[in-house]
Order: sequence, then structure tokens, then C-alpha cells
Amino acid sequence: MREEIINTKNQAIAQITEAKDAGELERLRVGYLGRKGKITEFLKKLKDLHPEERKQIGILVNDTKNTIIKLISSQKNQLKEAARDWFDPTIPGIKQNLGHLHLVTKAVDEIAEVFEKIGFIRVRYPEVEWDWFSFGALNFPEGHPARDEWETFFIDTKPHPKYGSMLLTPHTSSGQVREMLRVKEPPIRMINIAKCYRRQSDVSHYPMFHQFEGLVVDKNINITHLKGTLDYFAKAVFGKSIKTRIRPYNFLFTEPSFEVDFSCTLCKGRGCKLCRGGWLEVGGAGMVHPNVFKACNIDPKKYTGFAFGWGVERILMMKPGLNIPDLRQLYSTELSFLNQF
Amino acid sequence: MDIIISDNWLRDYLQTKAAPQPIAKYVSLCGPSVEKVNQVDNDYLYHVEITTNRIDSVSVYGFAREVAAILPRFGMAAKLKPLSPNRNFKQVDNLPFTILSDDKLVNRTIGVVLTNIKNWQTPGWMSKRLTSCGIRSLNAVVDITNFVMLEVGHPSHAFDYDKIKNNKFIIRESKKGEKVTSFDGKTHELHGGDIVFDDGKGEIIDLPGIIGTKNSVVDKNTKRVFFFIDNNDPARIRKTSMGLAIRTVAASINEKGVDPELGETAIYRGIELFRQICGAEVASKVFDNYPKPYKKKKIILDKSFIDENLGVIIAKEEIETYLTPLGFECSWQKDKKLFVGIPSFRANDMNIPEDVVEEIARIYGYHNIPSELMKGSLPNPLHKTVFPIESLIKQTLKALGGTEVYTLSLVPKEYVGDNALKLLNPLGKDTEYLRTSLKPSLIHAANQNKSVNDIFHQFEMANVYLSGKDDLPEERMTLGGIFYGYSYRQSKGIIENLLSELNVNAEFVPEDSQGFRPSRRINIKSAKTILGEFGILENDDFIYYGLDTKRLIDAYNPHPSFKSIPKYPPQIEDLTLVLPERTKVGNVVQTIKVTDQNINKVELTDIFKNAYTFRINYQNPKKTLTNDEVEKIREKILKNVKLKFGALQKL
Repeated sequence: MREEIINTKNQAIAQITEAKDAGELERLRVGYLGRKGKITEFLKKLKDLHPEERKQIGILVNDTKNTIIKLISSQKNQLKEAARDWFDPTIPGIKQNLGHLHLVTKAVDEIAEVFEKIGFIRVRYPEVEWDWFSFGALNFPEGHPARDEWETFFIDTKPHPKYGSMLLTPHTSSGQVREMLRVKEPPIRMINIAKCYRRQSDVSHYPMFHQFEGLVVDKNINITHLKGTLDYFAKAVFGKSIKTRIRPYNFLFTEPSFEVDFSCTLCKGRGCKLCRGGWLEVGGAGMVHPNVFKACNIDPKKYTGFAFGWGVERILMMKPGLNIPDLRQLYSTELSFLNQF
Repeated sequence: MDIIISDNWLRDYLQTKAAPQPIAKYVSLCGPSVEKVNQVDNDYLYHVEITTNRIDSVSVYGFAREVAAILPRFGMAAKLKPLSPNRNFKQVDNLPFTILSDDKLVNRTIGVVLTNIKNWQTPGWMSKRLTSCGIRSLNAVVDITNFVMLEVGHPSHAFDYDKIKNNKFIIRESKKGEKVTSFDGKTHELHGGDIVFDDGKGEIIDLPGIIGTKNSVVDKNTKRVFFFIDNNDPARIRKTSMGLAIRTVAASINEKGVDPELGETAIYRGIELFRQICGAEVASKVFDNYPKPYKKKKIILDKSFIDENLGVIIAKEEIETYLTPLGFECSWQKDKKLFVGIPSFRANDMNIPEDVVEEIARIYGYHNIPSELMKGSLPNPLHKTVFPIESLIKQTLKALGGTEVYTLSLVPKEYVGDNALKLLNPLGKDTEYLRTSLKPSLIHAANQNKSVNDIFHQFEMANVYLSGKDDLPEERMTLGGIFYGYSYRQSKGIIENLLSELNVNAEFVPEDSQGFRPSRRINIKSAKTILGEFGILENDDFIYYGLDTKRLIDAYNPHPSFKSIPKYPPQIEDLTLVLPERTKVGNVVQTIKVTDQNINKVELTDIFKNAYTFRINYQNPKKTLTNDEVEKIREKILKNVKLKFGALQKL
């Protein structure tokens, strides 16, 4: 039987190797491996053999079977196109109708996730605010010229006896006040992401936009921690090679105050049309002013803190490759735009 | 405020070999931000942003002081040259002038009469500098006042001495309705409370600190000039300037609180220039009215306070080398306490120890401070925040083919009801109100899209603003969406998918409402709470849905209770019923479902004319149902639907 098997194997190898098309291969497969095929017959006969012999012959038959299976499959792949079973793998797939999340939603989610990883609590505070939360408690005296930069929309309604005018908050910094009043006793690590409004509309401004405000208050917080946090954020969003820096600036609610720059994501810091000498302005930051702590019932002798408030759209526009020329485009309602992302 | 500083001019007061580009770069890192440097002829112009607290550096000299303090930190020698104009000149006459001042309105006034103005022609070098810095060159007299302002940082003014009839200023508050005509010929009606100069006869002859008036301005016939510096209450200057919309450079500077000490430098620098350029002679004493001269203030702080706030330790001696060039006087008590004497020009912005820390830190260089994440304990977490669920809702709609859109919360009047909040200062009529519903904005968006898209589903999740009585409005997070090209059943199925993803047990209750076609709107309810609405809009081909996100989140069930997996297989059969016209299929499904507790699923699988096929699962948790048992249930179903709806089985 051993000899018979070996002969069959050799014969099969010869026939399969010379087979010219898919049909012939199929006939051979049936002839050897089919229900009445030669190999199947051998397997049936095994049970009549002596146990010792059965084991050895069994191995041989199985080995032969595997050889034939492999060879048929490899021979199929060597057949010329015309000799094969016809199948068109290039036919387009049937797509399911998949929608699109807005770029701003994606950016908000990404930003929240980065800060939540380092222990920040995400909140969302009101868009319509009293003057006291958006300015007063943030150390802005009434009628101060610095208020001009905030281009604020006011609501036509009676002012609050204690909190002043009703307005659309021009920055998420109002959330600093609300969060300190909510938590009462530090530690505080807040990330407030909300809609803001300013009276302006041009290539880089839309009257409605989104800011994210970070606030950290605890014992022994200093400038190194602010730098560490913005470094962490920049690297998480733009990659390891991004550099950050802070420059002097003035905000009434922080002391010292900073302007934050990231190295340009387009030219990688070499300097280009988009940036200023390799740097892109990201937004403001600073160490919380003691007067803000006082307004929020937190003891400035015991605690220090830092805060920053940046535009979600700004971070989005810095994404390399996005190439949206006009910020207002983000608020287009046209599907031809929205469905690109 | 943005200013332009000429590099040539800067070097009149700054001794350094540093080139303009490095100056711009390093000053931006440690001081005012230089937005750009450009070359004009043989000069370079720095475009500098001066923050409102640092009006002391709005001048050539003030900027030079910053540069001189910063460059040495980058290994470049730099020295500030003194600005000390000549005070020795001959007084050719002793003309009179009287100023009746009011301490509440002005801090200091200084004036001098100049006579024999021989030259009105501005020299080229001066007009070039002024033009470079964005100031129009007019004539030598006016140009000198502007030149002094740009160089010294204190606005100044030149009156025609002979037009001031009684040689007298009475400084007073304006009355409401008083009129002045500025030198450019425009007449302004005052709101009252503005600082004005009265000639003693009731006529206003100047709007000090803001703009000169026509009746006192110098012109070609002017023989004698009254050169004048006034240092006014910044809050009033701002109020007048904003109220009358006169935003001159002088007003922008004066409203930020200029150092009255600078007035003296300005007057003598002006006299120097008038003599040099116009050939003028001094014809009066210098009238100086300065009732409350600056008393030097001090800020005291611990060395440890500086170290802790910076996160790095800087040596005492180093600190002194940073602060001294900025004009601060440092002295130490027992090496532990730092006394910082504040110069007059920094009196407004230096008040607390943190201000001193900022000065040290910026000159040390923020780039030299290390970065590290804070240690310390984490804040208490917030349980059950809305954000992950809002995200789940958006993700689900996206997976079901929806495209998210952001529309503006500010809408025109016709989009809102009576109680909507209105803006006092809108950008335009179409963005005058805060919206109370997403529907109009989404319809607007859909109308834009329907001409170029056959089928779409657009949705938005955003606040609507419902005005509260004497309080902030309720900001209600709302989900809204529009289907176009979808059938009623397809659209409703998507909403059903969303509700089932959120495990919300909802029912749909038909109820007509304005804006929807009759009988084509349903309320989406869960446990008696209305979550929202769904239906076909009246005038459009759109299907709209709006859901209150907060209520939806309240109804959301993150963990449905486990039901044991049935051990016995269900019997599944299709039952086709012929329904009379105007039968509500939703009610038929509900009727079949409640027929027997062994019916655990009923689905509408097909509609052919008036024949509706329902797929019914019969299942008992404890045994396999026999054909007899199923037949009994089926008979019960058929009996019920016949009785209730007149429905018959189609065989």
C-alpha cells in the first residue's frame, strides 16, 4: 500500500503541475480528494491495517493529501487570467451611508481628552453672562480701556443690581469665576469649553466662536507648571517636535500675563507666510491675579494658580494640511464643505 | 495700542551696536511685542504693540528704556542716553497767563508763551520721522507738538496766544448740550461732565487731551504760541473720547493715564525744538500747576515670594541688574526682603508684589524658566457629566448618516418669538436676537443645500436661550435635525435607532402643531415627559426633529437590566393583515404586542397595497411553545384586530 500511495502522489503532482485551467484542476481535486477520490479510498482502508502499520501509513496518506491540497491551490494562483474562474475584485463596494461630525466637535473632543488625561475636570459655563462674571470679578474696573479688546455684545435688558449688565461672554474666563465659586476649596483643575461671542467678523474672526479655558489652583503653583501644561498640550495635539514659548503680555485678571506661541506647524519653525518668524500666536495665559481670588473667596496667601483661554478654531486652523483659508468657512452650512471631513 | 518706532530716532536715546532684527526679536521675548520690522529708505520701523498698562513705553524714549534693559540679557551691550532738554534760555518778555484749575479734573498743567515764530516750515528730518510713524506733517508748530508726544510720551498742544482773549483758562466740567467745533471743522455736542477749557466768558476753547478747537488753533497768522501740556483724569478723557467717537492718538494715550512728571520733560523739550526750528523766543515764565506731585511709592516683598512664584531661584544681585535699568530702585533688608522704589512713570501698573515678580521674570526670560507638570492631588471628579452622552448622541447620528452643522446662535427677528433676548449692539439686523429654537436656522441651511443634494440629513446640537425673568436665560441644549429626500418611515427609523441606542423607552403621540402638516407630527414622549417632536414641515419637503438634550440625557439608560437568555427557541411567523383605510399601523402593532405575554416581538416587515405583514415572535421562557399554543395566541390576535380595527387575515 505504501508503494501505491507514493505512486499516486507522484502521479498527482505530475497531473496538477501540467493542468491548464481551473476546470481541469477541479476534476483532479475531485479525483483525488473527492468522496470517491483515491486519497479518500486510502483513508478508508486504514482501519484494516495492523495498528503499527496504520500509524505510519496514516502519516503518509495525510502527508500526500496535504501536498495535493497545497499544490492545487498554488497551481490555481499560477494559472493565467483567462484560464481562471472569473471574478472581478475591482468592482466598487456597496457603501453604507456614513455621516460627518463637525470639525469643531472633533477639535473640542480632542482638546477635552488631552486635558482630562492630566486630571482636568471638563465643565461648560453660560454663554449669556452678567458683567461681574465676565469682567468685574476678573479685575476689570468699569469703563477700563482694556475692555475694548473684548468687543462685547450686550443684551437689551435690565442690569442686575449686583452683577451689572447682561452680555454674551466674550471669553471663557467667566468660567474661572464660576468654577472657583463652585469648588470653593482647591485643588482646581478645570477645562471649560464653551461658545463665546465678539462683535467682529473678518478672515480670522466670526462673531461666534469657541474657547477652552484652563484653570489650575492649588498650593505652590508657579510659572513652571503653566509652561509644563501648555507644553503637554502642544505635544499631545501637534507632536513631539512642537515647541512652545510664553512672552510678556497684559491681562487684568492675571499677573504676570503671557502671550503663548507654538512653533509654526506649517514651516516647522523656519518662518513662513502663515507665521511670525517661525511662531504662531495661540492665545493668552497668566498667573491668576490675587484680586480674582479675592472676588471668588479663595485665599491668595494660601493658593496660587494659572489660567489660559484659547480659541478652539485657532487650534483647528493650526492643524497641518487642513488649509482652510478663512475661519468663517468653518461655519458654512453647505454639505459640500461639511461632508469633506 | 499699536505704534511705530523709528530705529534712527530710537538710537538718539539708545546706545547699542545691536541691529534692528535682533532688537525686535529679543524685545518681543521680554517686553513689548514687535509685530514686524520693515525698512524704509535708510531707516527701520518697529511695529510695536503697547499693552494698556504700559503707556510709559508708548514713546521713543519709553521704548528705548525697555530695549536697554533687555538687550544685556542676550549678551548685547546697550545703554539708555538721558533725555534732558536744555532749561537755560533767555526770557524776552513776561506775558501773563492765568489758569484756574480743578484738581478733580486735571493733575497738572504746564504752559509757556513763545513769540517771534519765524519759521513755519518743518525740517525734512522731522517730517520724515513723523510720517514714518503714521502722523501727518502739517507745519512746524503743530509738528513739534506731535514730535514731543512721540518722543517723550506726553501729548501736548499749541494754542494761538492771541485767540485766548483774556489770557485765561478756566478748567471746568461741560454742561450737557454745550457745543464745540474741533479744529477740523466738526461740531460736537457734549454729553456733560467732559473736561473743557473756558475762556472766562463761557466759550469753550479746548477739549483738552482729546482734540483742539477751531477758535483757538494756531494758523499761518499766529504770532505768539501758547505751548501747553495738560495731564487730565484718564477716566473722563476716555468717556468723552468714546462718547463723541473722537479717537485721536492723544486721547488713546491720555485715557491710559500718562505720568504727570513727564509733563516737565515735554515742555522743555518742546521749548528747545521751538527755539531751534521756528526761531521762537520764550515770552513768559513757565506756568506750572502741579498740586499733588508724585511721592515715590515702594513695594516690599520677600525673596522667597519671588522664588516660589517663579519656580527658579535667582540671585539677589541678578535681580537688581534686571530692575535697575527699568528705573526701579532696589534695596534689601537682611537679604530677605526686597524694597522696590517705583518710578513715577510706572506708578499706575506697579501695585502688588506680583507686579515685581513679573518684571523680574520677564527680564530673566520666560524662555529660561523650566517646564513641568504640577504635582499635588487631583480635584474631585464630577459624576454623570453630559459630555460623553452628548458625544454618543452625535456619534450615533453620524453613524446613521447625519452630517453635523454649526449655525449661528444670533438670528433675525422673524426666527424668534416674543420673549427672545435682543442685542443692544448687534452687527446687523440678521443677527439681532438670541435664538429660541434651532428649527429656523436648520431650515435655512437645508434650503441652501436642497438644490445641490438629492438626499441629506443635517443635525446640530446647540443651546437655545429662553429668557428668564430678571435673571440669566435658560441655556437649553437642544438637538435638531432635518431630513431631505428621506421617507417618513426612514427618518422616523433613524430617530427610533437613536432612542434605542440610548435605551430610552419612548412612545410617539400624534399631535398637530404650527409649522407642521396636519396629522404628520408626533410628540416623542418618555414616561410622560415630552422629549421632543418629529414631523413633516408645512411648506417644505423637509422632515424636522427637535429634542431637548437634557431631557433625553435624563431618560438615557446606560445599563439596561440583564434579561436571562431564553433557553427555548421562539416560534416566528409572518401574519399578513388587510387593514381598512385610515388605520394607524402603530396602534395595530401595539395591540398585537399586548395580546399575550408570550409575544415578545412584533415588526412590520412589508406593505403591499392594503396588506401589512407583521413578523411575530412567540416565546415562553420556560418551555417550547407547541403549535396548539401558538395557534391559540394567533386566534386571540386576529380576534382583537378585527374587533378594534376591522382587520382581516390575508391568506
